[in-house]
Amino acid sequence: MSRADETVWEVFARKEYEEPLHHVGTVTEDDEDLAIVCARAIYDEQPWIHMILVPRNQIREVIRA
Amino acid sequence: MSATTDAATASMIALIGSLADNKSALGRRYGEWAVSAPTIESAVAAAAMAQDELGHARSTYPVLAKLGVARDEDGLDAGHPMAVIAQELPDWASFIAANLVVDGILTTFVAATRESSIEPLAQRARKILQEEGAHRRHAEAWARRFAGHGGPDLELLQRRIHEMWAEASGWPGPDDDPGFAAAIDQGMVSEGPGAIRSRVRDWLTGLMGSHGVELAL
Repeated sequence: MSRADETVWEVFARKEYEEPLHHVGTVTEDDEDLAIVCARAIYDEQPWIHMILVPRNQIREVIRA
Repeated sequence: MSATTDAATASMIALIGSLADNKSALGRRYGEWAVSAPTIESAVAAAAMAQDELGHARSTYPVLAKLGVARDEDGLDAGHPMAVIAQELPDWASFIAANLVVDGILTTFVAATRESSIEPLAQRARKILQEEGAHRRHAEAWARRFAGHGGPDLELLQRRIHEMWAEASGWPGPDDDPGFAAAIDQGMVSEGPGAIRSRVRDWLTGLMGSHGVELAL
């Protein structure tokens, strides 16, 4: 089954609130709740205190060289 | 120790031991799907949920020692779990049904011990409930996905839910269990078997009903 039309989510996280959010990877899931569960499970290698997801199709480019 | 306290403690020992046994078995069943879930994301989630359940079992068994019960071994031998999770789950619908029904019943019991007078149990309950939030989110999302697809996949999920419910709904025991009632009186647990069953039944029927799927539990 092709997953080409599923939503790709960019995952950002940080270990301290003083730090900026860092891009840590992506998850591919149409369902928002499953994307949250999967991101938490996949990117658990660090003791994050904050993690967010952004649907890739909602990102707007400002500069593209 | 009074006879009432004895009955309450005996009930809690049976429930806590069974909770740990079932969490251990559930962890194994989740883990078996970590290599064959429908998507790699769900496979990783299954592995994480397996790790959670095995951790819950490992942390729950020592509560029995606090209640004066000696255990022969320190391992995760799964003891005597419900029959519906004693063997490998045959299909992904069974996995989701176990996630909804078995995990749902066990977690609802754990929620009723969050303020337990058995302090080691209350401490573990608070930690377990933090992690179970992700399990519930996973179960609800997959139920939504099955409902959206409809057809034979949904019919299979409904059948698996009924199979799991037939056994898991009886796990807390009869509504009028005197030991459970004594445990409530002693502040060891806040809700009885009937209330636990009702909460899970209402959640499941409401969840599926919101997607136009009727469940007669």
